[in-house]
Amino acid sequence: MGMLELQNVDKVYRSRGKPPVHAVRALDMTVKQGEIVALLGSSGCGKTSTLRMIAGFEDVTSGSIALDKRRIEALPPARRKVAMAFEGYSLYPPLTVRENIAFALKAQQLSRGEVTRRVDAIARLVEIEDILDAYPRAISGGQQQRVSLARALVRDADLYLLDEPMGQLEPQLRAVLRGRIKGLLAERGMTAIFVTHDQTEASALADRIAVMEDGILQQFASEKELKSRPANLFVASFIGEPPMNLLETELARADGGYRLSIGSDMAFHIPGGAIDAVARTMLDEMRHVRVGIRPQKVAVGTGDVRVRVVSNQWLGDQSHVAGECAGRLLIAVTPSKVAARPGDTISFGLAPRHLHIFGADGNCIRHAEVS
Amino acid sequence: MARLELSSVGKAFGSVRCADNLSLAVESGEIVAVFGPSGSGKTVLLRMIAGMFEPDEGDILVGGQSIVGAPPERRGIGMAFQNFALFPHMSARDNIASGLRAKGAGGDIAAKVASISSLLKIGHVLDHRPRELSNGQKQRTALARALIGNPEVLLLDDPLRNVDAKLRYEMRLELPSLLRRGSASVLYVTQDYREAMAIADRIAVLIEGRLVQVARPEEIYAKPASVAVARLFGDPSINLAEVTPVAEHGALFADIAGTRVRLDTGDREPIDLGACWVGVRPDDLVISHAPGDDAIPARVVAVTPMHEKAVLLLRFSDGAEWLAALPSTTTVADADDNVFVRFAAEASLLFDRATGVRIGLPHRRQAA
Amino acid sequence: MEHSSLAGRIFRGVALTLVLVFFMFPIVWIFLMSFQSNEQILRIPPSILFEPTLSNYQALISGQLRTTAGNIDIPFMRNLMNSFVLSSAAVLLALLLGVPAAYAFARFKFKLGETIAFTLLSFRFAPPLLVLLPLSLYYQQLGLSDTYFGIVWVYQLIALPLILWIVRGYFEDISPDIEHAYRLAGHSWREAFTRIAVPLAGPGIAAAGLLSFIFCWNNFVFALILASADKQPVTVGALAFVTASGIQYGQIAAAIVLSVTPTLLLALYAQRYLVEGLSLGAVKG
Repeated sequence: MGMLELQNVDKVYRSRGKPPVHAVRALDMTVKQGEIVALLGSSGCGKTSTLRMIAGFEDVTSGSIALDKRRIEALPPARRKVAMAFEGYSLYPPLTVRENIAFALKAQQLSRGEVTRRVDAIARLVEIEDILDAYPRAISGGQQQRVSLARALVRDADLYLLDEPMGQLEPQLRAVLRGRIKGLLAERGMTAIFVTHDQTEASALADRIAVMEDGILQQFASEKELKSRPANLFVASFIGEPPMNLLETELARADGGYRLSIGSDMAFHIPGGAIDAVARTMLDEMRHVRVGIRPQKVAVGTGDVRVRVVSNQWLGDQSHVAGECAGRLLIAVTPSKVAARPGDTISFGLAPRHLHIFGADGNCIRHAEVS
Repeated sequence: MARLELSSVGKAFGSVRCADNLSLAVESGEIVAVFGPSGSGKTVLLRMIAGMFEPDEGDILVGGQSIVGAPPERRGIGMAFQNFALFPHMSARDNIASGLRAKGAGGDIAAKVASISSLLKIGHVLDHRPRELSNGQKQRTALARALIGNPEVLLLDDPLRNVDAKLRYEMRLELPSLLRRGSASVLYVTQDYREAMAIADRIAVLIEGRLVQVARPEEIYAKPASVAVARLFGDPSINLAEVTPVAEHGALFADIAGTRVRLDTGDREPIDLGACWVGVRPDDLVISHAPGDDAIPARVVAVTPMHEKAVLLLRFSDGAEWLAALPSTTTVADADDNVFVRFAAEASLLFDRATGVRIGLPHRRQAA
Repeated sequence: MEHSSLAGRIFRGVALTLVLVFFMFPIVWIFLMSFQSNEQILRIPPSILFEPTLSNYQALISGQLRTTAGNIDIPFMRNLMNSFVLSSAAVLLALLLGVPAAYAFARFKFKLGETIAFTLLSFRFAPPLLVLLPLSLYYQQLGLSDTYFGIVWVYQLIALPLILWIVRGYFEDISPDIEHAYRLAGHSWREAFTRIAVPLAGPGIAAAGLLSFIFCWNNFVFALILASADKQPVTVGALAFVTASGIQYGQIAAAIVLSVTPTLLLALYAQRYLVEGLSLGAVKG
């Protein structure tokens, strides 16, 4: 039984003189008790509408939302037992930072000492102890975002909703705060849903990530699963930094397996044994498939694909090498430094076991083997 | 082509010093990234060169000639802006061609526009107005406008700030060769250390109006001039601990959360030092379940995957927190595990606690 | 809100109608009056049924006002013409002076800049009568009294602050980087002003021009004091209808219709600009 259950939720925005916008379509989603879930997608994908429907700031057009077995979609926001941190922070300007955070505890009628203790604890976690007596206008954007986070997390709620919770944080603090907040949520068994367009943030914090596009839930799985078993081309190219290399190939049967070729320059052979029966029957009917390989899986310096180096950039902890072959750009990422200079010809290795294969409809036919 | 030189440039707005004794030379054909946290004076520096403000003191030279006091249109500068700054009432073509027309370049304008726009892959949108362009196309149009006149100096003010992650990545690969095309002296402002490292030949680190370090990217990453620079390069950023290192048996030791760890001295002489910061990059930490005298015991607070790495938030017995970045293929530890942290002595950096400056130890005495 | 009940919709309809009637009634009534004779207007009880006559308009256009006490010459058409000439000239002058000034106030921070800008705006707050007495004395001394130029000059008190503040808001909305980019492309600041700033603030300049035209057109007291009959605009000219033998309601109504029509058409035509202009560039389209 899930803590939060969305069933067949639709959201349609109608405004006069404009065609209706179908922001969320037939969304089914179950979030378990104590789970941290990210709603990830580009702007306009329906992630924020979903969050606002759960919080109660938007009506659902159809469908139901249940929180801890209570139907909540018709309740006003205040009675849903959810805490929320807003993207625009929404701090109360006439209150100090401390009062802003304590304000969230008003309804719980705690003793004064308990309020102070809780505020201090959360302030330490997000490193705002030294600005507790400041007013919101006097602190930086990053600090305001941390206050807004603290105000949401300090409450006792059944569900925590965070809208772009860390986008404005100072880069030096981001990694530490992600770890601390994830630790806090896990320690207290808090259930949280957050919206983000930044996949780094989604994979860092979330147990599972719901990838949305065009109002449709594309895939809802752990970060590992999204990377190793993307359901379709959209997820494959959206998740992963830098994005997956995708190549259009021609498919032919050969030696009991398959031959995937790109023009006359590049070809891969995938033995039949490496592909399960269902996928084989699908592939037998196709002539063109798209092949994907993660930049991190492209071997540099070994292999049989000769590429002309377009750029080679060392970022301190990894090299990004872009190579051109038959007019296509291939990106390789490796943790070591690469000596090649632009214009040089080097080898890239694209091992068949690392290849994802996608059909014409975009759905994945065969995933890379997990190494 | 001409070299860009700043000599002791200073500028203050009221009591805020945005540029403090800045000296920097950019050779022709070189890309120098100006990198620093927001509010460090990067944009002001660029705007002084472009002629939107004049410096209070010092001189700015292009090809040996001072350009201070000259109006912007006579400085021979091409610039790309963070907000693109396209002319909204002109087509992309007119935007790109405006500089050539002002100079009266004559008949070859069309050919030049065609060549630069095919290079930047915007040939198909030349007749569109800026508001009809996607963010990526706007940004490419702005770049084309800056590049087309083959200016002696190219200034880029965080040009990738307002495009999405995927486009930013693509441009990061393309930009260096584009910028080197005309052998201009290029100053490239950015707030993203990866972008700076990817694009630039040298990076000028600007903090609070001062140039703290100017060096090649690898050098800044490996040998940051100060603790502030070290914190700016690397994501997650460098781990720091307060220590007072002591020299013993020809090596340098420090106490971190109750564990005596050996620090790097390279080929230098270990000596007792005063209050220091020791810095170790998250990538250089080794995590295991094997205890030992040389290992710092820690509890894993959380595991946060990041760019094909697993980032572990570690809490030491004294409450200090460090981050470790491990290849995500190795699942060493989970949240709440008790682990042991080690690092190679060579991976450690030492900074003076009072000044933040990196400590270079004296050379080893030659054996007689 | 998309789910409104039937009762809510009816209530909204009724409320809208009431507001509409309240505001539109005087205009409709004047329009009807302009086609009635004085006797028809003054009968009791009043009726909306009448035989329309064009005599009021005839009288205005021919300049002959027939009253029970005989014919009076009224220069109404000349007044109308004066209104056009004075308002247009005033707006033109105000644009010539105000647009560059607005640009300066928007782009450059200079000593007393805000003070000067506010002082100019404060002219709009002061009752015109306050300045009229000294002004009429100056004008007599300077020989500006009862000249077109003198009235256009004094109309700057109305038009200039309006143009300055509205256009300044529009200039401030244009990113200075766009002009910087244009200058770096090799253009002087004059070119950046005329080819970038002015075209981009175009809608704002148009709105400010239209608004100040309407305000100048509607002005009464400046021309009343500073101009004689042959230079007076319609607002003052309408006084002639108050004659010894009574008030000529029909002709007043016709005069009002004629004098309001240009500004009304202008306002309807440029509605969106005007709303934007009035909110000082705060509303972006």
